[in-house]
Amino acid sequence: MRPVSGLTLLAAGAAILAGTGLVFGLILSPPDAFQGEYVRIMYAHVPSAATAYLAVGTVAVASLLYLWKRRPAYDRVAHSAAEIGVLFTGLALASGMIWGKPVWGTWWTWDARLVTTAMLFLIYIGYLLVRELAEDSERGARMAAVIGIVGALDIPVIHYSVSWFRTLHQPASIVRGDIQIAPPMLMALMINLSAFFILYAFLLVLRVRLARLEDARAAAALGETG
Amino acid sequence: MTPPVAIALAYGIVWGGVLLYLLRLRRRLRSARAEIPPATASTAKARETLGVR
Repeated sequence: MRPVSGLTLLAAGAAILAGTGLVFGLILSPPDAFQGEYVRIMYAHVPSAATAYLAVGTVAVASLLYLWKRRPAYDRVAHSAAEIGVLFTGLALASGMIWGKPVWGTWWTWDARLVTTAMLFLIYIGYLLVRELAEDSERGARMAAVIGIVGALDIPVIHYSVSWFRTLHQPASIVRGDIQIAPPMLMALMINLSAFFILYAFLLVLRVRLARLEDARAAAALGETG
Repeated sequence: MTPPVAIALAYGIVWGGVLLYLLRLRRRLRSARAEIPPATASTAKARETLGVR
């Protein structure tokens, strides 16, 4: 019998937690006193945003390591995490807009949390474009690493925007152990957060593997022509 | 927008987006594995690292 790989375990863990998260988020958790049933969107929106934070944090750390050590492996991790970060930032923005329309009465408003999140989305789209458009891939990787590190500075701005500015977006429900959310809702949120974090790890491993294959393919092509 | 419509739309976009990305990733992986010359992934360790069977 073949041993079960770490990747299979990650996929299984993400699938089981995602299924459980859907049951808790859509059925077992109660409606909110003010938002009603719309609160259920939070169980997809908040984990998407948190996963985007995690991906951007990965980009920043891997980019710093790449600039320091110049090992392609760090660059592959940064590039892969950036792509996944763009995906989850986009999903957080989209799900937030769907929640905003019925609850706030508008799809979009120039609120500090929304604007700084949209900025993060654009910064990392720029990161991916720089990599695609650079003629010298090493130079592109270095430029992207700088963008990745500077772009990550937007994360604390996004996080504290609800405290620093007068915003429409509600403040954080969990601040340093102070939990202002009902236990069944917290449970649904935590299960979904865990599911998204494991899903992120799974996607990152797959995406890094693809980056490694693409590098090997490029090196092989160079060997053939050179 | 009624709650069921908004919830279905939000979950559909989030999970649909993740699924589409995953499918695209798998397609790109398959294509990269198919194009890689056998000599590049000849050792057992290299094959395991690159996920080439």
